[in-house]
Amino acid sequence: MLTEPYMQRALLIAMLLGPLCGFLGVFVTARRMAFFSDTVAHSALAGVAMGLALGWDPSWPMLGVSLIVALLILWLKEKTELLTDTIMALLMSGFMAAGVVGFSLLKGFRAELHRYLFGDILSVGPAEVWLALGIFVVVNLVLFTQLSALTLLTVQEDLAHVSGLSVRGLNFAFVILLTLVVAISIRLLGIILVTSLLVIPPATARNLASNLRQEILLSLLVGVVGGVGGVLFSYQFDLPCGPTIVLTCVALFLISLAFDQIRRALQRPVQS
Amino acid sequence: MADVRFHPTGLALEVRGLKVTLGDTPVLRGVDLHVPRGQIVALIGPNGSGKTTLLRCLLGLQQPSEGEVRIFGQKVTPDVLRRVGYVPQRLALDRSFVLSVREFLSLRLEQTRHWFWQLRSTLDRHLRAALPEYDLEPLLDRPVAGLSGGQLQRVLVAFSLLGKPEMLLLDEPTAGVDSPGEQSFYELISTIHRRHQMSVILVSHDLSMVFRHASRVYALNGVICCEGTPEEVMNADSLKQAYGIHVTPYHHDHGPGHHHWVNIQP
Repeated sequence: MLTEPYMQRALLIAMLLGPLCGFLGVFVTARRMAFFSDTVAHSALAGVAMGLALGWDPSWPMLGVSLIVALLILWLKEKTELLTDTIMALLMSGFMAAGVVGFSLLKGFRAELHRYLFGDILSVGPAEVWLALGIFVVVNLVLFTQLSALTLLTVQEDLAHVSGLSVRGLNFAFVILLTLVVAISIRLLGIILVTSLLVIPPATARNLASNLRQEILLSLLVGVVGGVGGVLFSYQFDLPCGPTIVLTCVALFLISLAFDQIRRALQRPVQS
Repeated sequence: MADVRFHPTGLALEVRGLKVTLGDTPVLRGVDLHVPRGQIVALIGPNGSGKTTLLRCLLGLQQPSEGEVRIFGQKVTPDVLRRVGYVPQRLALDRSFVLSVREFLSLRLEQTRHWFWQLRSTLDRHLRAALPEYDLEPLLDRPVAGLSGGQLQRVLVAFSLLGKPEMLLLDEPTAGVDSPGEQSFYELISTIHRRHQMSVILVSHDLSMVFRHASRVYALNGVICCEGTPEEVMNADSLKQAYGIHVTPYHHDHGPGHHHWVNIQP
């Protein structure tokens, strides 16, 4: 199976994006931004429809629309009194509806719609692998060089400000990185499931970690094992790839949960 | 003693004619404040008196509509804020974010900025060297989100001290801390103040704390209603201006001279 070029590309993408989502997910969940990534992902459907209508590779308009939605969230948050959840729900439903209407006007793209909704890692081309590699390098570089700043920002923004950090700049950079990762990961898991790769690995890591370094490392590991394991299982048992990756991650989470519960039970003092 | 108001270099904090309106509500209506260096001062006021808004202005987090803030004679800039240690009331930290105290403190120290790649023993060595008088050893492995109120405040003060501040700004530091914890926390602040001759500004509505620990008190209610020594400010008339209520002291069993202050009449 590993001699097939499409499998090599699929495994490579899973090895790049799985740990990247795991790493970023530690901060996404701690900063309660899972709904943000859902909003960006669902809105991307409008970009896909636009790309297909114009006869372009949908990856680029998808990336463009995702970035526009992310910036719109930031702008509306700053310029209006609306709650962040309201802004995100508004943009998500608006852009997703535009995408669905766009697809309904296009004929013969049902398979494409399915591919973007649920992911199709086996169909990625070499260009997408290079794009994923580029995003992997850039995002990891920023995350590791700005790890202390990002951690302090997650602890408390006022404290970060007084410590001399540019809170606005860091928030902006984090949102852009997250948007890039979500947009590129849609090919792996699809619009519907992409957030799971940002949420499940850190949740799994938290069951086992006793400090942030362990949590980041374990989340990276769960991202790799879930991504690569999911691709291999899907090939072996002829299952849809995206959902199989998610189920592999869920299985790892359940194992970590059982481990955590057993450990807690053993640590509890015995009552006479 | 010379009045420090006429010696700008002697002031840790200077606020002139500060006005802030949030929406249509004027929250600060012309606050003037002159805090000398090297003292423990308290900024008190009831809920809604503008304490938080004033604090946000001091930290450069809120732009005033009029007036100005100067810290050590300079406008509030990132450079000036480096000389200020801020101790927030609490952290909005998710319990599942398992940042340990060791990792948290390492974020503030230049030598441990790359904590992710450094050995635990290296981090501990640098932290011990930077905080020689501080016994944090038992807390280093604990997650920050799991600390009690008192422990968290001690860790937050330690975090601030790592930045070698000349002024500490504490926001309701003992809210949610039990009585023995409160006592030991203020003893810690007094020790730090004595040892480093640091200016300390306590923002609080806890009047008993103010009486025992501050050398000067400023009562806020949209404007500074009264200022002076705790004894001067804590008379019923002064506090009535600030709080709009009558306040009276009563003796508690902490021993003679230990007053607690209670609101007796709305």
